[in-house]
Amino acid sequence: FGIKLIFMAKKVYAIYLMEPPDRPLPPDEWRKLKESFGKPQRFDVQMMTSMFISESELDVAKSLLTFVAMETGTLSYELLLRYLTLCVSGGHDEEVFDVYDIMRESFHSLDTGATTLFIKSFSRTDRWKEAMNLLDEIKKVFTPSPRNYGDVISAAMLHGDTNTAWALYDELLEKGLSPHPETWCVLFTRAEHHQRLLGILLYMRNNQIYPNKMMANAIKTWFESLSSQKWTGSWTSPRSKGLCGCCGAELESIQLTAEEYQELKEKVIADVIQGRDVFKKTTPEELEHFKEFVRRKPPFDVVVDGLNVANVNRDKSKLSHTLLAVVSELKHQGLTILVLGRKHMLRPSMSWDRKNMSLIQQKAHCFFTDNISEDDPFLLYATLHSGYHCRFVSRDLMRDHKACLPDGATRRLFFKWQRGHQLVLDGFVAAGKRVQFQSIPSYDTIVQTTSDSWHIPYDDTEDRSTYEVPQRWLCLTRKP
Amino acid sequence: MLRHLFSKGCNGLRIGCQVGTPRSQVRRFLPLTCDGVQLISCRRLCSGHPPKEKDVIQTKEDKSEQAEPLDLDRWKVVMRSQAKYQEQKVDDGLEGSNDGSLDENGDDCKNSSSLEATRELVSMWRQAGKLVPQEMTEDELRTLSELTTKSSRKKYLKYLAIREGYKLSRKEKQAQKRAEKEATMKENRDGAEEGSDQENNQIPNSLFLKFWGHSFDRVFAWRSAQAMLFGQPLVFDFSYESNMSRREIENTVSQLLEVEGWNRRAIDPFHLHFCNLQPDGPYHQELIKRYSAEVWDRLLVTNTERHYVELFPKEQLVYLTADSPNVLHSFDHSKIYIIGALVDRSIQPGLSLANAKRLKLATARLPLDEFLHWEIGAKNLTLDQMIRIMLSIKMTGKWEEALTFVPERKHDGLHQQQTKPLRTNTTTRGFTSQGWREHADRPLKLKKTHEKRTFTSPDQSKREPGGDRIVGAKEKSTSGKRVRTSLKSNLENRKAADRNKMWWDDD
Repeated sequence: FGIKLIFMAKKVYAIYLMEPPDRPLPPDEWRKLKESFGKPQRFDVQMMTSMFISESELDVAKSLLTFVAMETGTLSYELLLRYLTLCVSGGHDEEVFDVYDIMRESFHSLDTGATTLFIKSFSRTDRWKEAMNLLDEIKKVFTPSPRNYGDVISAAMLHGDTNTAWALYDELLEKGLSPHPETWCVLFTRAEHHQRLLGILLYMRNNQIYPNKMMANAIKTWFESLSSQKWTGSWTSPRSKGLCGCCGAELESIQLTAEEYQELKEKVIADVIQGRDVFKKTTPEELEHFKEFVRRKPPFDVVVDGLNVANVNRDKSKLSHTLLAVVSELKHQGLTILVLGRKHMLRPSMSWDRKNMSLIQQKAHCFFTDNISEDDPFLLYATLHSGYHCRFVSRDLMRDHKACLPDGATRRLFFKWQRGHQLVLDGFVAAGKRVQFQSIPSYDTIVQTTSDSWHIPYDDTEDRSTYEVPQRWLCLTRKP
Repeated sequence: MLRHLFSKGCNGLRIGCQVGTPRSQVRRFLPLTCDGVQLISCRRLCSGHPPKEKDVIQTKEDKSEQAEPLDLDRWKVVMRSQAKYQEQKVDDGLEGSNDGSLDENGDDCKNSSSLEATRELVSMWRQAGKLVPQEMTEDELRTLSELTTKSSRKKYLKYLAIREGYKLSRKEKQAQKRAEKEATMKENRDGAEEGSDQENNQIPNSLFLKFWGHSFDRVFAWRSAQAMLFGQPLVFDFSYESNMSRREIENTVSQLLEVEGWNRRAIDPFHLHFCNLQPDGPYHQELIKRYSAEVWDRLLVTNTERHYVELFPKEQLVYLTADSPNVLHSFDHSKIYIIGALVDRSIQPGLSLANAKRLKLATARLPLDEFLHWEIGAKNLTLDQMIRIMLSIKMTGKWEEALTFVPERKHDGLHQQQTKPLRTNTTTRGFTSQGWREHADRPLKLKKTHEKRTFTSPDQSKREPGGDRIVGAKEKSTSGKRVRTSLKSNLENRKAADRNKMWWDDD
């Protein structure tokens, strides 16, 4: 025997990996194996688990069960549960029926793990309606998981009962769960309801969900299969000016509408800056002082996060120099600048040279907060207050501030605004090199539609971080 | 010729069958001898042999065939018969007690049914082998059913199961100890009966007075009483009820138990004030639960629901918090220090500082960076560590001794004293906490490179920006070493470097 680390059900287990026999054994050989095992009480369950991992044949597992039944006169729930996982993962659905009957008779109820497995197995067979009863059973204690719902929906679709499938899908959405991509794939491959499927695409748009490659394929196939309309799909990337790479249509702009803008501004002030305790990030006096300052000054074109920009180089002894370089570049472009920093920057030191700081103060408006206050909320307030055109310079992902917002919709709005307004310094700031910024896309990466086209960005890589957006799109156009 | 072949094959079969191997092994023999010919046809072809052998072969084969399906599904038969037997028993039992549970209120029925359903769930999870307690009280069940997500329920059950495990193992150990004690007592008694050693049962003579626990308690109590009259106050701020979960409040109270204990046993205790303690609030309830009401009343601690600002003049108050910009360099015996009764399991940065800012109090933090090589760990210390540090600094005035109570895993030891201080202005400033941390695990190398340090700051400033990363890294490490030495030598440099390492600097 050996110890192996296995990844099962999202957890890592270290188990005694036993080599299960490759053929069914008679009881006396099992007995010999059990006696030679270190912990005889756990032998049965661990042997069954090893069989599941090494994907043994069904007969071998059955012979183990026979041995245990004859030895002890009964089988424990745990052993039957492991056997059930082996059956379900191996696809032995008829065996699962027998196990179901036995478990129902022997134990007065089933636990959630067993019910999930039964639902999964029944949904693959003709007895899928019993899976629905099991789903109701789970509902008494818990909300069933999206996977449970997904299995039953797939079964209903497979057997042609589209009404039940859609009813369950609605229930899933009502409970606030998010369906699995596989469920969507099944719906797109089999369902006929035009409006419903378009409804799925709208749901993905409203929740900023991007399909994976498999689902994008299913969507494309469905669109192209519509006989009444002639849709053509192709895989493409957007061109720099916000046009689709394939059909040349203009993609949705990343700018927010006036109402969205106002809403975001209010929520940022209420939740990010003030929150439940304004003292956590700043003080009320400082906030008032800043609001007054912003009111007095003309609207800014760009707001610079002083400390973040200054720390972009590895050399920490010339922070003011770096900041001066960036501010000079922006001034050269003729923009009205606000620089935010903290009071310690005004104290002359090696990093914050007095001459550089005075030059910066000549080129830009400056506001310095207390050393113990957070300056990011002020950055956001000033940028939002100055209007649509105002952008901010920072490398900070602002995730901690986004998390202060109350609900998902506002957060997605914030993320959209951030992508459209955040200028990130490209590379280092060096003496001879011109200060460069990364480009801001002019289009919004989200599922979008016009009357005769659909543009759907999809995930073609596995490792996209949450602050990145996909680069590949599916372009579907219809010939009128 | 074929017959010969088959005779050989059949002999092989017969030998195989006599051993009584299962079907798959029998199959294994077959392909060797007759390709693709099935068992039945083989039997037909063997008909030319003496009937005895054939019969033997046939019956053996039949047995091995029939034995197989029975063997594999035998467990189903066993389980089904067992289930029927249990059902019969249950039916008999039910007939007896049928009428009792029918008339109940509708609400009660629902409540009890949901609790029952939860109990069912827990018992099934236990059977499925998950970490779940054996028994649960009604209160625990109710808390469980109020939790909504599966993972929160599982975590709560795991906590209950582990607690139950501790209790069980403690009971077992106690039973074991009792059994051993009885065994030794019995031996002693037997021994006493045999010999006539009376002295075994008496207290042995000794030169030294024995101090019983009561004596210690009395001494401590008198000292605490004196501290309450004349000693320096130390305030614990209990205003964080809304920021902590139930579990965190329980943890806070555990730490407070230790705080009170360490304070009582110190040579010169503080006069502890528990301020902002709302009566019948979560803190108070938990304290009474842990201490028991009588002990809580007798405790030599001042607890009040008033604010410490009302009790003491503002100039004397200093709030100790890890987020403060000011460092506490020496302990002031006339000031009243405030510590927040707060546990940072769910990390909410700046809570105590926010409180202090709101009340416009002076704040301070412990000089951890000045005296310790910090490795990794939050600079927030637990309450019992804090009280030990405060007691130690009050008694001795030496931070080196006081800061030994900071957990070892967070730091690498006190700063080593340097003999040759080197003044380097240029490289100290631009130092980030990252370089600091990277440096903490190389204390030994310091002494070696000590000698070959060169003052190359102008070169450095030319080389660093952008390009030469390898060189940059080396420069960083050597500059790091230089920083360390200059920190110890020069007070001003130390403060300046400190200021640059402030958390607000790294934006």
